[in-house]
Amino acid sequence: MARQTFQEATVAAIAHEMRRDRNVFIMGEDIGAFGGPLHSCKGLWDEFGAQGRVIDTPISEGGFVGAGVGAALAGKRPIVDLMFLEFMGLVIHQFGLDGGAMHYYSDGKAKVPLVVRAKYGVGPFHGHAYDFHSWLLNVPGVKVVAPATPSDAKGLMAASIRDDNPVLFMEHMGLYHAGREEVPEGEYVIPLGKADVKRRGRDVTIVASALMTKRALAAADILAQDGIEAEVVDLRTLAPLDEETVLESVARTGRLVVACEAVKSGGSASEVAALVVEKGFAHLKAPIARVAPPNVPVPFHRELEKLYLPDAGRIAEAARAAAAA
Amino acid sequence: MTQSNETLLDLYRLMVVTREVDLAVSEIDGHWHGCDGEEAVVAAAYMGLRDGDTVAPHYRGSLVAAYARGADLARLFAGIMGKATSYNRGRYRSDICGPPEFGVIGLYSGALGPPLSYATGAALAAKLDGTDAVAMAVFGDGSSSRGDCHEAMNFAASLKLPVVFLCQNNQVAISTPSRDRVAGTVADRALGYGMPGVQVDGNDAVAMVDAVAEARARARRGEGPSLIEGLTYRARGHFVSDAADPRPRDEVEAWRARNPIRLFRDRLAGDGVADTAHLDAIDAEVRDQVAAAMAQAQTDPEPGADVLGADDVYA
Repeated sequence: MARQTFQEATVAAIAHEMRRDRNVFIMGEDIGAFGGPLHSCKGLWDEFGAQGRVIDTPISEGGFVGAGVGAALAGKRPIVDLMFLEFMGLVIHQFGLDGGAMHYYSDGKAKVPLVVRAKYGVGPFHGHAYDFHSWLLNVPGVKVVAPATPSDAKGLMAASIRDDNPVLFMEHMGLYHAGREEVPEGEYVIPLGKADVKRRGRDVTIVASALMTKRALAAADILAQDGIEAEVVDLRTLAPLDEETVLESVARTGRLVVACEAVKSGGSASEVAALVVEKGFAHLKAPIARVAPPNVPVPFHRELEKLYLPDAGRIAEAARAAAAA
Repeated sequence: MTQSNETLLDLYRLMVVTREVDLAVSEIDGHWHGCDGEEAVVAAAYMGLRDGDTVAPHYRGSLVAAYARGADLARLFAGIMGKATSYNRGRYRSDICGPPEFGVIGLYSGALGPPLSYATGAALAAKLDGTDAVAMAVFGDGSSSRGDCHEAMNFAASLKLPVVFLCQNNQVAISTPSRDRVAGTVADRALGYGMPGVQVDGNDAVAMVDAVAEARARARRGEGPSLIEGLTYRARGHFVSDAADPRPRDEVEAWRARNPIRLFRDRLAGDGVADTAHLDAIDAEVRDQVAAAMAQAQTDPEPGADVLGADDVYA
């Protein structure tokens, strides 16, 4: 075990996979000697730069994500550092519409093993915060991963690189350098599409991901003081969704709160709620609550930002109401 | 560059295939985007590639690209109708999207531009693997206005990737003349990227194949990308049943008089590469082959419900 931050664990997984498989390479803006914004690629240049496997790109997101798709079709396993998730709008065509469709449209002949990494999230860096992951839930063929802890980041990054589909790997800036935990060294792979029950509880299920998982766990601490035992299900992978784990939890608690950093309308929280209504309705003892930002762009001022993003208090409040219903 | 007689006759044959495919598909598909008048650019772009090379064709000529890489004509025709026998069993249209197992990158979502970057990525893979494979990125004058075109060229030129950018300039994008909405010439842009750029008479098959051969050789030597602009002319509408063609009649007629297949035929006969009877025999053989493939495709079965394959979306 090694004590690592989210950022260190993510880079450790990339380095491990690059050592393991010559076809893995990484490209993006400012990821070479500079090391990537927020140290997103720290150390990779020193180890792999001379092999030509760490490639600085021009400011051409559509161009280099497209080149990633093309290289993946040709048998490589590219990792593209998109820098910020805000740039998804520039590449959703290459990554999603085309990249996600190629395997199906070619009747299985084409494979696009491409990882796009992107930083996002309301946090200490006060910019580039937008969480756009919900867009991609409507695009068949892509996977979306949003880890909450350093260990999960490591295991899920390894699995993303080994996956034969386009994968968006979301790196929350509020978690990026926010403390270390023990992370398994060497080979460590967590299968995509598997949620993780981060805390057991019998009274109410809180489904979350990334920073919202951290806040849901804090909410569970608050609720415990009132004698309410909340179960926290960390989705880890947003597409494909681990329906089984969510439904199994709701079957036990009968109550569901979904916390999400993407705006409420058309978001992944709605997808989880719809899933439970459709397949777990008989177990529900209370209305489902979605705790998510209002349908406005991420505001700038810190106080406005706090009003925008759900915190532990608001998640706890929704869970308390659900438990009392 | 001097091409062998064999190469010239292969080129002629592929141009005739392009024409006959056009005529055959026009009969069954009013939305077929044909290649009438552009056969020299299309055939030169896709002829003579090696295993391991990649093509991202312009949609106008995409089916010929797949055929030139070894795909079966009957199955490609089946793909136009979405038949079960097509390379993807009816999941997508083969007129703009070729089978990837033949090194063809299609137009998967119907928006122009991104395939230039996909070809660039294939070239990046070749460079990383240290092979001498090349990628062909073929696009129209309309697509040359996409940011993707600039991004792919800048990326490829700055990394010296083995790509041949080929602009199939038929001088019109649906209804918009390129002289109105493409500033300067496409070939001249190469100067800005520090790569060779040449404008070629796209109705001169020999000039086209020479330019493509030179650019590919340069790419295989590791000297980086090139840009070729084949200046040709769309002899018909945007698609077969496109009734509205706002272009001046005399301009259309002048270009039709320069039909590239007829010009090439005259040259082959005049230079003694093949006599008229030989060329007629190629024409007849291709016509029969295309007719047989189309007849086969038309009787092929439609896809069953199993092809929808909701569980097949992930690899």
